[in-house]
Order: sequence, then structure tokens, then C-alpha cells
Amino acid sequence: MSVTVLIVDDEPDVARYLAVALRANGYTAVTADSVEHGLKEVHKARPDLICLDIMMPKQSGIAMYTQLKTDKTLRSIPVIFISGVGHEDPWDFRSFVSDESIPPPELFLEKPIDAELFVDSIEQLIASTRAHQERTDK
Amino acid sequence: MKTDARSAAPRRLMDIVHAALFEEIPFNVAVIDRDYNIAAANSSFTDRFGDWQGKKCYEVYKKLHQPCDECPSVQVFETGKTIVADAVGIDQHGKPTHYVGHVAPLRLTEDGPVDYVLEMTRTVTGTRSWQQEYQILFDRVPCYITVIDKDYRIVRANEAFRHSFGDVLNRYCYEVYKRRKSKCPNCPAARTFRDSKVHNSNQVGTDRRGHDVHYQVTTSPLARTGDQVGHVIEISTDVTAVRKLERDVVEVERLAAVGQTVAGLAHSIKNILMGLEGGKYIVSLGLKKGDEEMVNEGWEMVERNFAKTTTLVKDFLSFSKGRLPQLQMVNPATLVNEIVDLYKDITARSGITLRSEIAEHVRRAPLDPDGIHTCLTNLVSNAIDACQMGEQKGSEVVIRVHEKGEKLVFEVADNGCGIDYEIKQKVFTTFFTTKGGEGTGLGLLTTRKIVQEHGGKIVLESEKGQGAHFRMEFPRKRLMTLWREGHGKQSSQTKQVRS
Repeated sequence: MSVTVLIVDDEPDVARYLAVALRANGYTAVTADSVEHGLKEVHKARPDLICLDIMMPKQSGIAMYTQLKTDKTLRSIPVIFISGVGHEDPWDFRSFVSDESIPPPELFLEKPIDAELFVDSIEQLIASTRAHQERTDK
Repeated sequence: MKTDARSAAPRRLMDIVHAALFEEIPFNVAVIDRDYNIAAANSSFTDRFGDWQGKKCYEVYKKLHQPCDECPSVQVFETGKTIVADAVGIDQHGKPTHYVGHVAPLRLTEDGPVDYVLEMTRTVTGTRSWQQEYQILFDRVPCYITVIDKDYRIVRANEAFRHSFGDVLNRYCYEVYKRRKSKCPNCPAARTFRDSKVHNSNQVGTDRRGHDVHYQVTTSPLARTGDQVGHVIEISTDVTAVRKLERDVVEVERLAAVGQTVAGLAHSIKNILMGLEGGKYIVSLGLKKGDEEMVNEGWEMVERNFAKTTTLVKDFLSFSKGRLPQLQMVNPATLVNEIVDLYKDITARSGITLRSEIAEHVRRAPLDPDGIHTCLTNLVSNAIDACQMGEQKGSEVVIRVHEKGEKLVFEVADNGCGIDYEIKQKVFTTFFTTKGGEGTGLGLLTTRKIVQEHGGKIVLESEKGQGAHFRMEFPRKRLMTLWREGHGKQSSQTKQVRS
């Protein structure tokens, strides 16, 4: 069964790059250039994983993440934040989302991203999510 | 008989008057003979020093068993002349009592020797302690106090002043405060001598160690109402530390902006690297697959991001031009009108209303006109973009200028798409852009840098969908400090060139 990944990024080059890398490795990639568009694609494409940029016009990736994690039907979809803000920078998830009921994202990847590392990360995250789901289902 | 009766009556009257004076006069009066015996004393003296009958003066005045070392009475017995004496004795309750008064000779015969001395003293213990308190206050008050005469010589100076400026009595105030050889221009003391009024002034002097001292001075006349001012009292508060703190705060804000700028630059470069990485990946994938279209697509991506690098570097170089604001006294309203003229055609074409609100009584201010022009251009350009991104009709951008307390305030407000909380947090801290691939994110950072260089701050108020409201606040006090410093530097540079 093909894995569908939704990439939400207002930078067309970034979205295209990640989509090409995923498709080259057998994934189905869907792109969106805004949160509004991204939320529509979530309902339409029902992705297995979402890659989310933080800084976007109109609404930020944090706003979309909050909506996903507060929606019962969507909160189980793993999310990778992709941003130019690095781990070594004072990027603190709780400074953006103080609501403790919203969990931190599954993964944070710092730009620029190596395609191979990106695909490996997706693969591992999908595998661990499925394993977790199987344990929950049993 | 009549004559005798008339002359007798006054004599009795004078005796009565003398007796009453002796008793009622508010002085301690005592009559002392050559052997230090107190021959007579009034009730005021008795109330102060206690029983005196049959006692020596030194026993009563000072509770001693032998005459004082420097006895004023002995001096009067010897010279036959009245003197003024000042001494501390002990009253009947054992408390020190300070008294001042006259010691006069009394002769029983007109040309005879001095038979007694009349000591007429007044207790000044209260006055003395008030004087001491005043002296302590004068010396210890944490500001400089000097009294200068009409020749501008310092006749009194408190301890704080002497501590900072050294031995200053009888020296000219301009020589002491500023090491000048002639009177200072705009001397506040000169104005007080002229009009008998209080004047205030901010000055910079040089202390005895050669360090600059910034002080706020108040000059007040020392004269009774209607009299000509003979002396002026100068009370100065040393504000050197405050001035330094003000400069330090501006410097810390500048350094913080530099740190955030470097972090922001790294963030921006990462995005471009991501595009280059993507282009490189797509080119190699296309080559591997023999897919020419894919190779072309990847190469275009490389070229696009390469161009972005060039733009970023240019913007960054322009941003990083570290310079002090080139301050000129300008009318803030003129700057606003310039921006309206610049953008009125663009906004009209986009269906956006652009207008200015200039409050009455906006005063001229020392500003860098090019810098403020850049700030307003950046903010108005962002506001126009936000209006174009927003969904509502009737978009409007307003540029305001007004005075708020001691601050000059510029505002740029729009009713465009607004900025939500997360973006607001980042808006001044990174090279953040909401313009997708088009902006470098430097506009707001440059604006903030220019505002901070003026000693001001920029504040953003925005709610998603409600438009954004940027406010640039410039404390006039800080602007004036920069203005004065800028002028100081210019004049010292001129001096260097001339020498």
C-alpha cells in the first residue's frame, strides 16, 4: 500500500524538491502552498504523514499544527516540522504552543535537508507509527 | 519744689525701668566682681544656671573649681572695653548650653577703675544645633551646592562639590566647573543675577580628575525681596551615571539587534541552501533517469536560488551599513507627506486607500530623514502587500504622526490580512518574510535597526485578519541626547582638523 505524504510549504522550490525525492522512493507526494490549501488536502488526500513549514503567509505552520492536533480525526497523523530555525537556535515548541494538551511534533528537521536523510526519516517514522497503531489495535 | 518733684519722679521712674529691664530683658544678665564673685544676676540667668548667691562665676557657668583659661571678664577688667564673647557652659540641669553676648565694664565712679563687669548673654543652643544640622545637610546632600558672588567667585561649596572638584573657594566658577578662562555662554547664574529668577540648565563640566561630569543645575537668587541679587546659589545634580546608563541601554539594544540579525541571516541562508540542494538533487535524478525535462527543472531551481543569494547579499550589505544616524532638525509631517506622494499612484492602481493623519502641534525633531524615509517605505510597502493578500474590500493604509507625552510617534496601520501570534513573535527576530519566495525578510529588521539607532523602539499590534499596526516611538529626550552628542563629535572632529 502506497504511503501518502502531504508537504505544506509556501516555498515552491522546497515543496517540489521534497515531493520529487519522495516520489523517486515510491511515495505518493501531495503539495500545498498554504495552511488553507493544506487543510483541504488533509481531508481530500488523507495523508499518512504531513511535512509542515513553520513560517508561511496568512497562517503559520503552527496554526495548522494546532488545528490538526485538536481534531480527533486528524490528531494521529504524524507531523514533521521543517524549518530554517535549527535545534541549536532558541527554538522552543512551547514558546509557540503553550497549551500542554497539544503534543510536540513527531520530528523536527532543519533546512537544508539531504534527500536521503529525509526519505530515511519518513520511512522510520511511518514504520514506528504503524507499529504503534498495531499495538494499539491489538 | 516743682522742679525737684519733677526731677525726682523721673529718677524713680528710671530706677523702676532699669530694675524691670534687668529682670525682664530676654538675656542672661550677671554682674561679676574682680574676684569672680557673682554680685547680681537676673531671673533669666537664674533659671538657666541655677542658684548663684555666694558662688564664683566659673562655678555657676561651667561647674568648674577654678577660673576658666580664657576668661572674657578678666579681659574686660584689663582693657576696660566691651567685648563680644561666645562660650559653652553647663546649665543647672547639667546640659551643655551655648551662649553668646556682650561683656561690658561697670565703673562706680566715672573715671575710676572697672569695678564690675556686666555679662549680658543670650542662649543660642537651639540656633547652634539648627546651624549644625543645616551644615550637615549642606555638606551631605547628594548634590553639588555652591554659592557664587557677583564676580562669579565661589564663596561657599559643600562637601560633595569639594570632593568632585577639589579646593574651590575664591576661584571662578567657570574655571572650576569647566576649566574655562572666561564666563560660560548661556550661564544660568548670569541670568539669575540679571532677573532674580530661578533658572535650570543641563551642563557638562570636568571634575578634578579630568572626567566629564554631566549635571543639571538650578540657580536661585540669594537676596531678600526687592534687594539686588548679591549671591547666587547653584544646586547641581550629577546625572553622569544616568547619561551613561541611557547610552548603555541604546548600545545593548544595538548589540541585541546584531545578534538577532546574525541568527536571522543563518535562517535565510538555510532556506536558499534548501532550494540549491533541491535543484542539485533534481538535476542528478534527471541525469540518472535520462530525463532532460527534469534536468532543466532542477537547473532552473539552482539558478533561481543562486539569484536569491545575490539579492540577499545586496540587501544584507545595505542593512549592515553600520552608521550613526545623520540627524537633522526636520518636520516629521514632511517625511510622512513624502511617503504618501511616493505611494499614492501604486495604491490607487491596486484599489487601496492611502492617507495620512498628521496631528496638530507635531514639533520638529532631530531625525535621520533618509533613515526614517526607509522605515516608512518598508512599513507602507508591507502594509500594501498585506492589503493585497487580504480578502476584504475597502483596503486602507494610514500613516500617522503625533506626539505622545515626551515621544514622537509614527504609525503605519492597515486593514489587510494581519499577522497571527506565532508570526508576530518572529517578525523582528529573524529574516522572516511572509512574502513566499519574493522577500528577503530584511525590511522589518532594517526598520527596527534604524529606529533603535535613533534610541527608539518599534511595536507591532496585529490580530489575524484584523490588519497590522506598526508604531515607531522616539523618546524626544533620547533624540536630543543623540543630537547633542552628534554635535559634540562634529565640533571635536573640526577641532582635530584645524589643529
